[in-house]
Amino acid sequence: MTNISRRTFNGLLGAAGVLSMAGTLSACSGGPKVVVIGGGFGGATAAKYLKRYDPSLDVTLIDADKSHFTCPFSNTVIAGMNDMAYIERKFDVLVNKHGVKVHTDMVVAIDGAAKVVKTKSGQSFPYDRLIVSPGIDFKWNAIEGYDEAASHIMPHAWKAGPQTVLLRKQLEAMPAGGLVVISAPGNPFRCPPGPYERASLIAGYLKKHKPKSKLMILDSKDAFAKDKLFKEGWEKLYDDIIEWVPAAKNGKVTKVNAKEGVVETDFEKFKPAVSNIIPPQTAGKIALDAGLADKSGFCPVDPNTFESTLVKGVHVIGDAAIAGEMPKSGYSASSQAKVAAAAIIAMIRGEKPGEMSAINTCYSLLAADYGISVAAVFAVQDGKIAGIKGSGGVSPMGANYQFRKKEADFAVGWYQSVSQDSWA
Amino acid sequence: MRGIPATLAVCLAFGLALVPAAAKAADPVAVMADACSGCHGTDGHSIGGMPAFSGKKQDELTKALRDFKSGAKEATVMDRIAKGYSVEQLDAIAAYFASRKK
Repeated sequence: MTNISRRTFNGLLGAAGVLSMAGTLSACSGGPKVVVIGGGFGGATAAKYLKRYDPSLDVTLIDADKSHFTCPFSNTVIAGMNDMAYIERKFDVLVNKHGVKVHTDMVVAIDGAAKVVKTKSGQSFPYDRLIVSPGIDFKWNAIEGYDEAASHIMPHAWKAGPQTVLLRKQLEAMPAGGLVVISAPGNPFRCPPGPYERASLIAGYLKKHKPKSKLMILDSKDAFAKDKLFKEGWEKLYDDIIEWVPAAKNGKVTKVNAKEGVVETDFEKFKPAVSNIIPPQTAGKIALDAGLADKSGFCPVDPNTFESTLVKGVHVIGDAAIAGEMPKSGYSASSQAKVAAAAIIAMIRGEKPGEMSAINTCYSLLAADYGISVAAVFAVQDGKIAGIKGSGGVSPMGANYQFRKKEADFAVGWYQSVSQDSWA
Repeated sequence: MRGIPATLAVCLAFGLALVPAAAKAADPVAVMADACSGCHGTDGHSIGGMPAFSGKKQDELTKALRDFKSGAKEATVMDRIAKGYSVEQLDAIAAYFASRKK
């Protein structure tokens, strides 16, 4: 083969025609390689937006499962309002429409020096830049007796999937007049308003289908996200069902005995019909194994690029990352993914990455027609990701039925949009 | 082999040809504006109950965003979000979505 001059090249293209042009293009995977670990909101959005911002990139998404069940709206499944299919997101549009390569496999090692990801099946994936979006894992035995085996009896349901189904089945099977306990963890954890939305929707189910039942939230905290709004709603909707017990009133669960069905705080023992134990969390295990996390169990990153401050060339997004004031939510992860995608492209080209700009918007349902929200716009201020002053905040207190109903409808629209923007 | 293989040459040329468009797509305004797509759909193509931007004219979007910021337009959440941006940033976001494919 000889050198191709500009003229030959032009001729070649001209003669090639549309068909072989397309064929040649699809062979153009020699572009810089970006591997994305995790197919949740963070990883899926990152893969899609990397290709959107630079189609010449060779983007591979690796997830252990064939599809992803979203935590957002999994509380509606637990409460019997939707089925599992409603929260299942497949990867086929990422492949067919956006040109992402998807591999179903478990990542077992990241070699940051050699820039290679290794999977359980023995495959190696070399990368120029890596995005790690593994979500969370649990601190087993941080609550005495609550290990992985115990979670099959007392589900956490804090990763959507079989755990969601298990909790749903237990609620269906419980007798009327029974007690449901939700143990809520201390900060930081995935989806700060999540336990309280769950309590609300379960209470709605109990009210209809299991009369005279009670729901106790045993909390490791004295305050929580949107707490005034939740309490206002509970008083209206579930006054005789929900009881919230803060840490100051010995709400913190310290011990469980799953086999005997016992949940303990320092001073009390409960024997609930259903126990939903949401344990303290860390970044997903692969992030810990790869040395991406600090002592907190989460991953420190550069606020503009989400590149790990511990391992170069690796970007951590979503729940696993320490992202300043951004809460650990699906919307945050998706918004961070776009920032990281743009930064990675700039870095690959040897350009200076832009400044980060991101949003978090989260809705919580207290009932099908009762929604509340929190929103904020984020930028880097004094070297840290922080909410823009004067912006953001939660829904107003004392709003009327129409307002809450409108936000409940927007919650559904939000879920449809953020799912589309991430996976389709 | 002395030169660049033909396939690679085509790829390189095509890659270079893509740079202007791609660079534009990933510029700071795009990243800032794409944060909105989580609620309003990619390129503003909302598929559910959230208002879509696609098909809206730039001046409509500009006015709506400015009015959300000033409080002239009633909102459930957009008032809280619009206050996070300067008027110049809101105008840039409106221009971005007006320029995306319908």
